[in-house]
Amino acid sequence: MPIKVPWTKGVYPALVTPFLRETEVLDEAAFRRLIRHCLPHVNGVVTSGTTGECSYLTRGEQRRLLEIALEECNGKPVIAGCGASGTAEAIALAKDAKAAGATAILVVTPYFLHPSDKGVYQHFYDIATSVDIPLVLYNIPQVVDRYLSREVVEDLADLPTVVGLKDSSGNLTYTMELLEYVGDRIDILVGHDEVVLPALAGGVSGMILASAQVYPEVWQAVLQFVAEGNLAAARKAQREVQKLSRIFCRYGGGVAVKAALAMMGLDMGVPRRPLKAVGGALLHETRAEIELELERIGKVETPEIEFSYPEGNLAERFGALEITAAMISEHRLKIGSGTAGEGLNRVQIDLIAGGKGTPLGDSYALQLTYPQHGREALTTILEPALTVCPPTLTLPTLDQRNLRQANMIYGPMQLAVARAVADALEDGTIGREATQQEVMIALVTVHPKVVDRHALALAGQEAARGAVRQAFAHARASG
Amino acid sequence: MGYKTDWFKGIFPALVTPFDGRDRLDEATYRRLIRRLLPDVDGVVPAGTTGEFSYMTAEERMRVIEIAVEEANGRVPVVAGTGASSTQETVRLTEMAKSAGATAALVVAPYYLKPTYNEVYDHFRAVDKVGFPIVLYNLPQCTGTHFRWWTAEGMLLDLEHVIGIKDTSGDLPFMAALFEKVRGKVGIFVGHDEVALAAFASGADGAILASANLIPDVWQRIYRAVQSGDLEAARQDQQRIQRLVRIVTQTAGPQAVKEGLTAMGLPMGNARHPIMPGGGFKREDYEELRLQLEASGIEKIVKRPVTYDLGGKRIVTEVFATPQTPEVIGEWEIKVGEGFAGPPFHELAHVDLLIGRADGPVGRAIERSTANWGAERGIKLINERPRLLLVPTVTLRSAKSKRLFYEEAARGVNLAVQHSIEDGFLPDTVLDEIVLIANVFVHPAASIATRIFGNNYKATRHAIRKAIEGRPTVDELIQEKAAARHPFRYAP
Repeated sequence: MPIKVPWTKGVYPALVTPFLRETEVLDEAAFRRLIRHCLPHVNGVVTSGTTGECSYLTRGEQRRLLEIALEECNGKPVIAGCGASGTAEAIALAKDAKAAGATAILVVTPYFLHPSDKGVYQHFYDIATSVDIPLVLYNIPQVVDRYLSREVVEDLADLPTVVGLKDSSGNLTYTMELLEYVGDRIDILVGHDEVVLPALAGGVSGMILASAQVYPEVWQAVLQFVAEGNLAAARKAQREVQKLSRIFCRYGGGVAVKAALAMMGLDMGVPRRPLKAVGGALLHETRAEIELELERIGKVETPEIEFSYPEGNLAERFGALEITAAMISEHRLKIGSGTAGEGLNRVQIDLIAGGKGTPLGDSYALQLTYPQHGREALTTILEPALTVCPPTLTLPTLDQRNLRQANMIYGPMQLAVARAVADALEDGTIGREATQQEVMIALVTVHPKVVDRHALALAGQEAARGAVRQAFAHARASG
Repeated sequence: MGYKTDWFKGIFPALVTPFDGRDRLDEATYRRLIRRLLPDVDGVVPAGTTGEFSYMTAEERMRVIEIAVEEANGRVPVVAGTGASSTQETVRLTEMAKSAGATAALVVAPYYLKPTYNEVYDHFRAVDKVGFPIVLYNLPQCTGTHFRWWTAEGMLLDLEHVIGIKDTSGDLPFMAALFEKVRGKVGIFVGHDEVALAAFASGADGAILASANLIPDVWQRIYRAVQSGDLEAARQDQQRIQRLVRIVTQTAGPQAVKEGLTAMGLPMGNARHPIMPGGGFKREDYEELRLQLEASGIEKIVKRPVTYDLGGKRIVTEVFATPQTPEVIGEWEIKVGEGFAGPPFHELAHVDLLIGRADGPVGRAIERSTANWGAERGIKLINERPRLLLVPTVTLRSAKSKRLFYEEAARGVNLAVQHSIEDGFLPDTVLDEIVLIANVFVHPAASIATRIFGNNYKATRHAIRKAIEGRPTVDELIQEKAAARHPFRYAP
């Protein structure tokens, strides 16, 4: 007879496994720190799961992680990841878990050689009948490359030690099918951070999540709100962490979680190779995005940045380009400025255009050898290989301190300036003769903490349009 | 019971369909295309996938079939594309092709709603009742359904008017099963340009190919070499065109073929929307396709004289010009060209290039940069004639980044300059007067040295040509500004 256990109704972090830099040796002290950090907000922990890089751990290391977790958890449940490609190894890991005193084992669908459903059933059956410990099945097609088939789960749910299934697929049609077929016999836990709320609303009992070591209290709130039937509050809570959850699920996994924890002051060292701490699954740009999101939800303190939008006489704002008001007047350079957007999304664009043979031509060429470190100029493009004409540089007025900040300029602002130029070509504001004879430089100021690329892009486009219109209308009036 | 006909063999181009500036069928250009191809082909295929049949009305499809029949004039067979999503429409189009005088119909598997294999079988059974020779057409890339060998074998052997199958899947195990089951009983054609040689060598009777619009003569050489048992000659030719055909098959085929033909001097316009210029067939693909069409052994774009007007000095240089290349190239103060090449992601090359007179803004920028902050910021002169300043777009922090930048990327940039001197775009006679600044991006997480070299070579080669020819044009910008997809515009 299958059994239902009470502890599945809760929030469980799938703990990362910390490794020392250089040596990749298990860092036990860091692991203890991590558990102590999580424990007040969670119902228990999961060791050596997917997020814990289980497939890179020796059997001894997995046992050690479990022992530490049991010592630290003061009686809260500890679920031991016991996944393996082959059945014999999975049984050995399960026996270790039982001997150490784990609450339950989490066993992933056997991977790599793609056994048949028959083989998959036998794998779980052999484990369940060899070791008397509650067993949580684990579906994660993203790494196993196959689903644990519902038909197999239907039969496995009859085994007396099988108490639950963790579904990390994020595929709610599968989750709902499981609830329909086995929900009365075993508990389903959601393992995909992006769909916690809909999965809970659909009837899953609890969750095992990578992000539950970063913001466990958010998940406790979502769990509580759904239990109370307060869907509006649950949605709000889930939405606050939607982007971070997406990054953890899709753009870096445990590596991204380690990066986030490091930003929060919990150094978890490096992942084991072949994973890279950054620059592999976790892009540099994404890492910068994580930091910003952690700042937004209050997990990381926001550094104060002093800055201001350029003001005063427009003709005197191009000094960084070595263009003076006198040169503007002497060489009939066209200038214009535009501002749009509110608060963090405010954009100011100061634009200068003129002949290739004027000092602006010199300035244009010089900027591509970046005389101003941290304010590198880029050729303005609608998309790669679609450069605008007249040739236009987009240049930030503030030092770009990190990739995330740079991405607000080199993505949304570059496109905004490019679109404004193309619009002006279409409506005749910029004449076709200018495209061969002139160059332009757009000086762009955005708030260093801006996060909303969409609002920023719209504001940028409006500001750029204003700047182009003013520059070329002015030229027409005076010319 | 299907059967094998004598005429169903050899090289058949899957004809592109030209549309004019107002998106109407351009009959005159279509006739020119067919006339140009006829000497090198064994048949033609109007209204196929490359012919954008799915964007054409039934009337337009019939019209291109009629024109193909007129132009072929009995000299070569016309296999008309008559596929549609529903059985009723497919039967109707096949009947129309029959009355238009086509030789056979090429019938693609019914698409979109993904019928099951037995529904597919009965679809072709219904088409067979038209009483017109039909060629089955397997194209899982577009239809979403892949004939299994048992379905194909059943249709090929059971249906009375089936004369063969065109397999465009590129799935060689599937083709091998076809050879085992039906070779000699019906015609087996390959439709995937990248594996055509492998298919010929295994016994394919012929090929219906998108790239046969561009290089029918090379395909004839390959086909005949295999027929005569000279596999080594066929391999050399296939390798020569491999990159070209990969671009055609793996990007938006119709647009690729059209832009290729346009560059060869036969203006074809664009594919119909939603296929876009710079879409699936990316701008960097165009540059590569153009370079391939110039290559030795292909030679579809040849050199012609272009005048470089450097103010006080005018020279004439022979370059691989297209109809888009200006006759006279002036404005040598600053020329801006951008090049972009990939994949993979971390090894993408992005080159912002300036070309200009040594005594102009570009030359002065080089002087100032090298005299002042150049050394401190890793900016280096990497070539003397022409003078070329290499600037890293982002600060190089690790030893690995520095090695990839100064060794691999720099080598790629220099080789591109060397080849641009050889192909005439940077003529030897102006190398003392012009200088270049190459602002080059190497991602901090880049790993694959060979790709850093190769992508920077390509991006620089493209950037030089774009700078000199003044591309992209104002019209291109206006046409694409709304739909442009900037990769860094969006959050993860």
